[in-house]
Amino acid sequence: MMDPAEVEFIAEKQMVEIVPNFNFDRVYLISGEIGPFRAGLPVKVPIWMAINLRQRQKCRILVPDWMDVEKLEQAKEDESASRYFTKMPSEHYMAEAQLILSACGEDVPRADEIRTALKDLWDMRMSKLRSSVDTFIKTGGTHARLDHLTLMEMNSVRPLLPHALDQLHRLSTVRFVFSPLVNSSSCFDMHISILYYCFWC
Amino acid sequence: MFGDKAFELIKELERCPDSLPAFNDEGVRQVLEEMRVLFEQNQKDVNVSVSGDANYFAGVQLRHTSLERNKRCLLAYLYNRLQYIRQMRWEFGSILPPEIKFNLCEPEVKWFGNYSKYLANYMKTIGDGYGLDLTQDTKPPKSLYIEVRCLVDYGKLELEDGEIVLLKKNSQHLLPRSECEPLIRQGILQHIVH
Amino acid sequence: MPLLRSYTPHYFSIDDIMATQERLPCKFEVDVLRLGEYCRNQAKIIMSNTTALKVAKKSFLDPSSDDEDIKTGTTLELPYWLARALCNRNRSIVSVNIPRIYKEAYREILKAEASVVDLHRLCVYFYEFGSYLSGFNHRDSTEIGNLLVQCFKDRFRLIMDWAQNSSGDTSGSGRGAGSDPTARLDNLERGLLITGRSSWEALEAWLSQGGGRPIGPANMVVNHQKRQLANASVS
Repeated sequence: MMDPAEVEFIAEKQMVEIVPNFNFDRVYLISGEIGPFRAGLPVKVPIWMAINLRQRQKCRILVPDWMDVEKLEQAKEDESASRYFTKMPSEHYMAEAQLILSACGEDVPRADEIRTALKDLWDMRMSKLRSSVDTFIKTGGTHARLDHLTLMEMNSVRPLLPHALDQLHRLSTVRFVFSPLVNSSSCFDMHISILYYCFWC
Repeated sequence: MFGDKAFELIKELERCPDSLPAFNDEGVRQVLEEMRVLFEQNQKDVNVSVSGDANYFAGVQLRHTSLERNKRCLLAYLYNRLQYIRQMRWEFGSILPPEIKFNLCEPEVKWFGNYSKYLANYMKTIGDGYGLDLTQDTKPPKSLYIEVRCLVDYGKLELEDGEIVLLKKNSQHLLPRSECEPLIRQGILQHIVH
Repeated sequence: MPLLRSYTPHYFSIDDIMATQERLPCKFEVDVLRLGEYCRNQAKIIMSNTTALKVAKKSFLDPSSDDEDIKTGTTLELPYWLARALCNRNRSIVSVNIPRIYKEAYREILKAEASVVDLHRLCVYFYEFGSYLSGFNHRDSTEIGNLLVQCFKDRFRLIMDWAQNSSGDTSGSGRGAGSDPTARLDNLERGLLITGRSSWEALEAWLSQGGGRPIGPANMVVNHQKRQLANASVS
């Protein structure tokens, strides 16, 4: 299981477009090169860098296309119409939106409506996930196919689901598992005991 | 019944999952005594059995099982305490509060000291010669400096750059995260987020 | 302690030692000689026996008796660890009977309405003890094994719902918490509930505040401070 803060940390690697207000050469990082930065020209950077620059008033963040009320309302409709999980615009839609909106929410028009739409979408998907998990356990399935589930969503059923499956597996194979007290044969055991005490006599 | 005293030890641990009860010297002594009695009686009965009288087998078996049960309970008692003591090194740091240390027996205090020493040595050897404090950064850091409020009168704290900060109760400071995280974990400082 | 680890019994496991201490009715098939101490202490044990299983009257051995042996036909409630060692395929010193909560009458109730049964009251280690019992070569073994699996499946939804609905307190032992429905969980279910709840709470906190949440004090430190405070207010 991961802490949600760790999932968010992974999401911070996603790229986002910014418009810097400064000039700077290309930066070489372990994860790849970024820049060059030209004032007024859009450039792609990881979210963690965008937030840091924005906090120091060095750039404007261009909100990703999908963070838009109409598009999210459409996604909500698709989600409720489908039995399965629909594909989200980003593998980290919740974390990305939360990071970007909390860094520059004031620059985004209708930010509150975006937040609400996202929360609705999230809740819809979570209740879908809950009932799939329940059905999965009840029917005793051994595998399940869950496409388009994002990392934060998968993490929400950890460690409860894997632990429950462990226990279920243990209960159904119980007669063969480790049991510190099962003796293979008492006659055999008796000889062991006797040897044991004779040895110490 | 055989094994009851040993089971008491386990119940003691089970009853308080969030703390370490005082080491039960007397309980452990009684279990060892019971084991001694069981063993000696079994020796006697085995001698009779070996000379041909099979009627004592059942008793030997019963006592032998009880001996094994006592052994399991005793070892589990010691083992689970050690697990807890090890975890304390990660949460309290290398110095335990006196009230807690009081509940450890001699060998446990020594074990804690050794574990603490080995862990410190290990952390010194990793991280390309600079050492790496594995108890740091329990969550991904967001910034190098953080704002903290002091919850107790702690006294002076010397930072790596030589600056000395006086940590008085209710005073607020902007400090390097790496230097105040241990104090936050120990409940001396409180991390403030706006 | 690494509290988020899934549970599997092992030699040092406290839960496993607790579960193997549960008692079951046994009948001695042979004489067991020279157990003076054992007999004399029986009376005391039966008085202080706190397990859910009631001790049958006939299992009382006369405490004033000087009889040092257990006679064939004596019935006693023995803890599982002892019963298991004295009863196996090749040579049975005792024969075991299944405790009534795993017998047909109770099995029917559990099959019909698993989710409302108070497992905690039936047996705190319902699943663990049950799975050990199904290891005996008893005619009900298979049935008990199936029951445990079915019962767990039927009740899982409850555990998941409670874990994801943070009202109510399960930090207590559950005894006396009459209004708290989670007090009906057995030990294994309670473990799942606690891990599930703590991860859910972390997620909820993230949803409302994001990952920039403050670093907190270590759990053990918090518990220690609470205890110090409680002690101070007592004295």
